[in-house]
Amino acid sequence: MRTPRTVDGFVLLAAPALVYLAALYALPLVLLLLKSFNAKGSFPSIAGYTEFFADPFHLKILWRTVRVALLTTLLALLLAYPTAFVLARARGFVQSLILLALVLPLAVGVIVKTFAWSILFRSDGLLNKTLLAIGLIDEPVRLLYTETALVISAANVFLPFMVLPIYAVVRQLDARLPEAAATLGAGPVFCFFRVIAPLTLPGVIAGSAFVFSMAVSMYVIPSLIVGERSQTLSMLIARSYLFLRDEQLGSSISSILLLIAVSVVLGSSWLLRRLSGGKT
Amino acid sequence: METELIAPAATTILTGAPSTQDAYLSVAGIAKSYGSQTVIEALDFHVRRGELVSLLGPSGCGKTTLLRLIAGLVAADSGSITLGGRELAHVPAHQRNVSVVFQNYALFPHLDVQDNVAFGLRARGRPATSIPAAVAEALALVRMSDYALRPVGLLSGGQQQRVAVARALVVNPDLLLLDEPFSALDRKLRETMQIELKALLRSRGMTAIFVTHDQDEALAVSDRIAVMNAGCIEHFADPATLYARPATAFALEFVGLSTRLAGVVRHCQASVASIETACGTVSANADFRPGSAVVVGVRPERIRVVPSGQPVPPGWNAVRAPLTDVVPLGARTHLYGRAGKGNAAGASVGEGQGDGEGDRLLCERANTEGGMLGEAGSAVREGEVLGWQWPVADTLVYPAWTA
Repeated sequence: MRTPRTVDGFVLLAAPALVYLAALYALPLVLLLLKSFNAKGSFPSIAGYTEFFADPFHLKILWRTVRVALLTTLLALLLAYPTAFVLARARGFVQSLILLALVLPLAVGVIVKTFAWSILFRSDGLLNKTLLAIGLIDEPVRLLYTETALVISAANVFLPFMVLPIYAVVRQLDARLPEAAATLGAGPVFCFFRVIAPLTLPGVIAGSAFVFSMAVSMYVIPSLIVGERSQTLSMLIARSYLFLRDEQLGSSISSILLLIAVSVVLGSSWLLRRLSGGKT
Repeated sequence: METELIAPAATTILTGAPSTQDAYLSVAGIAKSYGSQTVIEALDFHVRRGELVSLLGPSGCGKTTLLRLIAGLVAADSGSITLGGRELAHVPAHQRNVSVVFQNYALFPHLDVQDNVAFGLRARGRPATSIPAAVAEALALVRMSDYALRPVGLLSGGQQQRVAVARALVVNPDLLLLDEPFSALDRKLRETMQIELKALLRSRGMTAIFVTHDQDEALAVSDRIAVMNAGCIEHFADPATLYARPATAFALEFVGLSTRLAGVVRHCQASVASIETACGTVSANADFRPGSAVVVGVRPERIRVVPSGQPVPPGWNAVRAPLTDVVPLGARTHLYGRAGKGNAAGASVGEGQGDGEGDRLLCERANTEGGMLGEAGSAVREGEVLGWQWPVADTLVYPAWTA
């Protein structure tokens, strides 16, 4: 029986991308998942996972990875939220300038940016020199190789991915809604929490999902900023493959990391659907 | 040509404006400009308690800016606003107790109907236990009780307007401002809502100001209408006065239809001006310096059309002009006449005045028994030269526009 011809010809336009993704992304992903259940010839086996969760060292790294990603997301959100309003309010040249300042750093490689941060954070770096010069500290403090430095530099790198989704929502915000709130007796604080915040929440969720999923799996930034001293999951994965030659452990951790990122993305899109459910 | 107005009779007769003593809302010397553009210039505006007032004018006349100034959504450059004796100039919008029904209503899209209505009560920190009853009462008032739990996005335009009104009234404001509240509704619904809202505001003794560009809406809902143009109030009066004796040529043009003839005052004796127009000389009760360029206006139902040559009753004006259009409007018929060119005054003052239209005669006839032209006794044909007659007392004269 012939299938009814319901597929639009336009779908064919997506075919190259689909083939590309299937060959270079979906296929390796399946291989990775299969490998995580393959313990030295015996298949299936969950040895890779039990090995991971049995080791407190690994759990510590898992928690650190999630914590760093959460803190990075939070810092990026705090910086991005007001910026998005300024960007939405700005007009013409100023708006182009802010957008350029946001997007242009994306053209600079992550490695370059992270090196720049590591120079700033060094014990003889600009930050320490400044703090010493103004007398806030008596001897150089250790900034490089700390989690704080990692969060600061990661938030810097991922900032545009937080600003742009929030900006997209703020731009759509009806300017009369805050006015309506004011004429109904709402002061600025009440208006923010009851009108502005709920209406911009979709942008916050989308931006947070972007930044969290990138921060939880970042590799270059922690490698350069904190090094082997305090590893994250992605560094552990690299270690498993490159130094330990333990492909099952590596693929198991990869799958766990993937699960975290995917659940954040799915969870946030579920939240977004729920939020917009009652509106139209 | 120099136009000098000594004292137009039209403006001295009327003005139902209250003295500043019995004003509830007093806007005095208010001014607002954006950059080099002056939107409102030294404007005075007084409203009595319980009065329903309309700000009527074309877009860009400053009416919405005036509303926003009163609401506290924009700050005035100078002047004062007092409401019930309280100076509002430096009071922020959220402390004024002035509610606004916005154009397109500005309902909160993330809240359902009852939470929209409850918003103002919550913002004012009313005890949570008192809120449901107040919300229910407000929704009952606008007959929206069955929709309390609906998301506002699912409501029709009329329903949204009711919610917006309930949301504005539930906080018991000292003043209600409505910005083009009916413009998003279709015509039939608009008329129903106008009657309904007027009755509701009356029953609550609410003082309200409507902003509108629609004269029918202003006439339907207001006790008094302020006609605005270019940041000024041209005439502020009750609908009947505004219609019968508009204070300015702009008010004459903006509210209702009228005959309009450009003319020059030839002489003026005992407050009766003799004005030469393109289709004849007419008299009017007005004081103008001879030589002044003027515009003569007559409301259409004041004019009667008769066969050319029929005698003119004493105290009446009469001109001759060809009938150009007959427009049947159901209960009424409009007869248009055009003042002929080549007449004495027509060439010099008849062209290039006002908004580009030339002289125009307009007669409105009620289609009662006896036919469309009962008085004339016979049907008329377009193009036929007729006599157009109206009482001198109903002749309105304004200085020619210097736009």
